[in-house]
Amino acid sequence: MGKRSPITNRVRELREEHDRMSQAALGEAVGVTRHTIIAIEQGRYSPSLETAFRIARLFGVGVEDVFGWEGE
Amino acid sequence: MSFREKSAWVMGAIMLATGVFYAQLVAGAPQAPVIGPLIPYVLAVVVFSIVAQVGLAIASPKEANAPADERERSAIDRAGNWSGVVLGFGVVSAIIMYIGGWTATMLVHAIVGALIVSTVAEYALQIYFFRRAV
Repeated sequence: MGKRSPITNRVRELREEHDRMSQAALGEAVGVTRHTIIAIEQGRYSPSLETAFRIARLFGVGVEDVFGWEGE
Repeated sequence: MSFREKSAWVMGAIMLATGVFYAQLVAGAPQAPVIGPLIPYVLAVVVFSIVAQVGLAIASPKEANAPADERERSAIDRAGNWSGVVLGFGVVSAIIMYIGGWTATMLVHAIVGALIVSTVAEYALQIYFFRRAV
């Protein structure tokens, strides 16, 4: 449901690389709900810059390693 | 389903049911003093809302205490914006009808009706934006 964002992400992949971190745990760590993490992973929601940085820092990578632009 | 979406479903249903109750009271005595149907309506909204919110909070205490996150805030803000448009349209329509010959009693009922419809619209739009992910 809803239009997909042109912003792509590797959140699910990075979660699985980090001991299969749950969506709830990631949400709690970066200050959003599990439902927002689900929406981000499905490309239905583009997080704020602050949340994008929080997610990237949590995984120890740069923002550009987590988020990208469709087709690039 | 998130806590806030559950809350929107429940509050929307309460506002819809109590709105129908209010409409029935008004239809039964359209020219009676405004306060007549208003008091039982307000009491019903307050009582049912408190009971529903307490029930939801008991069922999900952690989520109930957490503030809305950025996606939820955005959905709530957008729904509030559009419900304001609905309320404005209803109020202006009621004023036009009053100028056209409605009594002051009917004007008040129409404005309360617009408030009820805009509140139901707000909860419905919240659900829509939560699901659409904003």
